[in-house]
Amino acid sequence: MSTIAIIGSFADDARCANAIEELRAAKVGEFNTFSPIPSHRIEHAIGRKKSPVRWIVLAGGISGVLTGLAITIGTTYEWRLNAGGKPLLSWPPFIVICFELMVLLGGIFGFLGVLGLSGIPATEIAPGYNGRFGEDRFGIVVRCDEAEAARVESMMRESGAEEVVREGV
Amino acid sequence: MSTNLQHADHERAKPQAVESVAGATMQTVAGAMIVVGAIAFVFALVRGAAAIAWQAYLVNLLFFLGVAQGALVASAAFYLTQAKWGGSTPYRLGEAFAPFLWVGFFLFFGLYFGRSLIFPWVTHPIPQKAAWLNIPFLFARDGIGLGVMAAASFAFIRVSRSDEARAWTVATDDIALPPHSIRVFAPLVSVLFAVVYTLISFDLVMSLAPVWRSTLFGWYFFGGAFWSGLAAMALVATVLRGRLGEHNLFTNPTVMHDFGKMVFAFSVFWVYLLFAQYIVIWYGDLPVETFFIVQRAHHMPWSPLSVACVVLIWLIPFTVLMSVRTKKTPAILGTVTVLGLVGMWLERYVLVVPSLSLDAIPFGPTQFLITIGFLGAFLISAVPGLNRVAQAATSGEPVGDDVE
Repeated sequence: MSTIAIIGSFADDARCANAIEELRAAKVGEFNTFSPIPSHRIEHAIGRKKSPVRWIVLAGGISGVLTGLAITIGTTYEWRLNAGGKPLLSWPPFIVICFELMVLLGGIFGFLGVLGLSGIPATEIAPGYNGRFGEDRFGIVVRCDEAEAARVESMMRESGAEEVVREGV
Repeated sequence: MSTNLQHADHERAKPQAVESVAGATMQTVAGAMIVVGAIAFVFALVRGAAAIAWQAYLVNLLFFLGVAQGALVASAAFYLTQAKWGGSTPYRLGEAFAPFLWVGFFLFFGLYFGRSLIFPWVTHPIPQKAAWLNIPFLFARDGIGLGVMAAASFAFIRVSRSDEARAWTVATDDIALPPHSIRVFAPLVSVLFAVVYTLISFDLVMSLAPVWRSTLFGWYFFGGAFWSGLAAMALVATVLRGRLGEHNLFTNPTVMHDFGKMVFAFSVFWVYLLFAQYIVIWYGDLPVETFFIVQRAHHMPWSPLSVACVVLIWLIPFTVLMSVRTKKTPAILGTVTVLGLVGMWLERYVLVVPSLSLDAIPFGPTQFLITIGFLGAFLISAVPGLNRVAQAATSGEPVGDDVE
């Protein structure tokens, strides 16, 4: 028995999500999904756990606040200047600096986290990828035994695939 | 999106249609509350506690008008953002409290009889500001403002309840714009809200400390009113969830999540506006600006109440509603909104009363009972609207995207 790839392309994410759910229920082979847009339906169908990127953002946010505190408190002690009779360490303006640095570092960490976790930049194109999956079509690539190919193909067609093709791996 | 593929989403069991959720019992209780409040008010006037009674009158007028108008503007905002996450129900919910707008409009003129006890500039006129701060002009401009606001709100409700608008709110498959009349009245109501409630905040709150000024205060005031409207809507949603039988709209966790998101987001907006004013006044350090905050935030007996406002309106909603699960848990969302509404009432209290009674908190049975009376008037105004909400929530109409 040899393993082959079956590529189904779909016109909208609802049909694609439908097909994913059926494939998962039938437990045939392993599959990849390509989507030109981020789609909650497809994410939901894949049943993937929440991305750990939020913890990376949290770490970025906390380090931003700490950096902000270090800068504001540090510079205040470095250059002791009494302004308007206010206490040396006056916290209201510090909030602004800490908040902005929290947003900045949280954003940068989040961006880098997404790149890292999703393997961008990718050095080689995933098998079965078709240029249209980056434009207007949703794709599912299933790798399974040749014996099961017919069943997978019919499942995809029933879920509303526009086109189903086989490829050797 | 083709319909035959969506059937799985929408073919959940149909809810039992409910015609009425608020009826004679609620009207009787609310009516009794009004009577109690009115008696307490008259009693206070007769017994020489008029100042205390008028303070409570003004605080409650500002708070309940804010809730009713804020919720209505939320409905307009849903059209502006083309919200279809709950079908027509969130729109009915926003419009549910609107009859109180007319009640509040008439109660506003009641302030005329308490003018010398409410507005310090009546007994001690400020010559430089007399052109603006005088009784005839104040009642004329604010009366016209509130009247136009209420009339525009009801014109908006009329078109919002039309079949055409309702059909648009439940048409989940197309991306057409809302009906033309909605596209006129929804922006109109929203812009009027900003203008009229800025005016109200300047005249009925800021003028009580007539030398104080903050340009941002209007935003802060109606931002808070908008949030209290959203909180009241979310609270009603959590309460009705258990009272409308199985499968009503509010049992849909996605819809609860959306209410939770609204409460979370605009709580942050409120504290943003609070801080934006605070930081400018703190930096400028001009005595004519700082005294208003120093009296409230740094001096007894008011400072604990000011802290409580920030805790109830921002800190608790922000920390508790950060997680998806708490937003979807009606008991938690309901508790947070009750605390938030108490906080917003307290905030209006802390804005108004220290200007009139700096050294002591005059809250006692009189003010409590007057508050009860206003709450009764608010509830009795909401009866027909709540029944419309019940009908919409149990109609089994499709709602927007069900998938998170």
